[in-house]
Amino acid sequence: MTIQYLFKKALLFIGSVLLLSLLVFTISRLAPSDPLQSYYGEQVEKMTVEEKARARERLGLDASIPVQYLRWAGSALRGDFGLSYKYKQPVTAVISQRMGNTLILGGLGFVLTFVLALGLGTLCAWFEDRWPDRLICRVGTFSSCIPEFWLSLVLILVFSVTLRWLPTSGAYSIGKAGDLEDRAAHLVLPLTVVVLSHLWYYAYMVRNKLLEEVRSDYVLLLRAKGLPRGRILLGHCLRSILPSYLGLMAISVPHILGGTYIVETVFSYPGIGRLSYESARYADYNLLMVLCMMTGILVILCSILGQVLSEKIDPRIRAAQDTGEVAL
Amino acid sequence: MSEPFKVVGIRPQPARAAARPGPREVPVASLVLLGLILAGCLLAPVISAKDPGYLDLANCNAAPSREFLFGTDALGRDIFACIWQGGRISIAIGLLSTAISTAIAIVYGTVSGMAPRWLDTALMRLTEVFLSVPGLLIVLFLQAILGKAGVLSISIAIGVTSWYSIAKVVRIEVRRLRQSEYVVASRAMGGGFFHVLARHLAPNFVSSIMFMVVMNIRGAIGTESTLSFMGMGLPLEVISWGSMLSLAEKALMTGSWWIVLIPGAFLVTLLMCTTNIGNWLRKAMTPGESNL
Repeated sequence: MTIQYLFKKALLFIGSVLLLSLLVFTISRLAPSDPLQSYYGEQVEKMTVEEKARARERLGLDASIPVQYLRWAGSALRGDFGLSYKYKQPVTAVISQRMGNTLILGGLGFVLTFVLALGLGTLCAWFEDRWPDRLICRVGTFSSCIPEFWLSLVLILVFSVTLRWLPTSGAYSIGKAGDLEDRAAHLVLPLTVVVLSHLWYYAYMVRNKLLEEVRSDYVLLLRAKGLPRGRILLGHCLRSILPSYLGLMAISVPHILGGTYIVETVFSYPGIGRLSYESARYADYNLLMVLCMMTGILVILCSILGQVLSEKIDPRIRAAQDTGEVAL
Repeated sequence: MSEPFKVVGIRPQPARAAARPGPREVPVASLVLLGLILAGCLLAPVISAKDPGYLDLANCNAAPSREFLFGTDALGRDIFACIWQGGRISIAIGLLSTAISTAIAIVYGTVSGMAPRWLDTALMRLTEVFLSVPGLLIVLFLQAILGKAGVLSISIAIGVTSWYSIAKVVRIEVRRLRQSEYVVASRAMGGGFFHVLARHLAPNFVSSIMFMVVMNIRGAIGTESTLSFMGMGLPLEVISWGSMLSLAEKALMTGSWWIVLIPGAFLVTLLMCTTNIGNWLRKAMTPGESNL
């Protein structure tokens, strides 16, 4: 890896992040929702025009958008992201309170999806076109068609409202923040939704890649050598698709984290996703900017990481890009 | 002394399972179900004599009965009538936003595919940046610009945020095709961008994006319902399956399962049928015989 290569990637990263911040900043200010509403809540209805103007001036909202952007970027570079209008706390404090919750939900969801998809995909490839494979494919396609929010509602209806086994919302019961068992109970349903709604996409991918792999000549050789099917599938085919699967998973970190967005809202789970939704809805600018930049940076980093991974693994991709030929 | 071995030639191979079936079997069940739903929506006024917008306040949250086949919602609207009326809106949004996103994707993908390398790279980077702006924010913003949330504004909002993956495929196909002699010839003879696109490129890539377009319809219908459910899509008085489901969260408290399950079941059925038809279009054939 040359210095030039690293430099190029770094430049790409910085450029994308800058563009993203500019876009989000402009879009959020042009949208007509009123930040004063998020700052003063209901009271804003009773305020006079002068009071509103003074409040705007105090919050620095009277300047033109480019000036506001420069001010924001200047203090952001010094590590000061401002106050959240709604929570009247530094943005970083508001986020760090909830970051853990989302990381638990998203992280566990990611790992579970990753492992289960690998297992399920391999199982399908093993039974190609026989009834277990067909059954799993049917059920899988079905599960991928259910919108996340509706799946959440149905699970709540069945397990919380009817059976009363699990709690309907939140991350823990009041006064039980430290109780692990209680937290786990609150996590079951959201986690199920996050995993179920992404699982089939990746499992199907593994299945198809394995089916392609199984048709290559080396498999025939191994069979002729007398290696059992299981050893070939797990020891050779699975190993050779693993790198491209890892590359895919690198790109899909934000995809799965983003999946917690809706789930958090339906389950009133105090996390980043729900916070983003609120901040966009009620124009909590400073909070919104940081949240967007966080997810945006994650997306961009992961996509660069995925690119580097696949270039490392498969030199043909880089060669193709260098000559300007077809590349994925 | 007889020969220890006898030469008999190649051992006849038992014919291995008579080749694979041709293209996948037609998804009859999905086509029939989809047909039924479509017919029901088109004939909405004939099927249910009730006005879906009528608020029968004496019968709020009524369970399914002979009078209200699917029950009524919290506002006293007849769910049976709403389903068919709402289906019209949901499907219309699916089609309209897919038309919008496909049009953007084709133009963007083709421009990127035909462009010199630096512009191509820049355009593809730009999609990544777009992709990382939360879709929610763009939807809120567009709705604000377009005024009150309605069928058209939400279709535009969904269409504008869901063209990236089709554009990527179009670009790859165009890069493959652009060196073809007929494209070069057409350009040499002065064929303009849209002429080359419509006459030479589109007919060649249409089959490879067909699957994605169908999937896009499915995605759009799903997104509409999610947005409406979260209170950012259609308002309650514009009946769609999504806006009907926005009453579902409250219905959970009262245990009115029909408000949650019935519109959702229709939604999932529609999405499922569309997916099956999309998969069939892709003709995902596994190539050749397994060596395992």
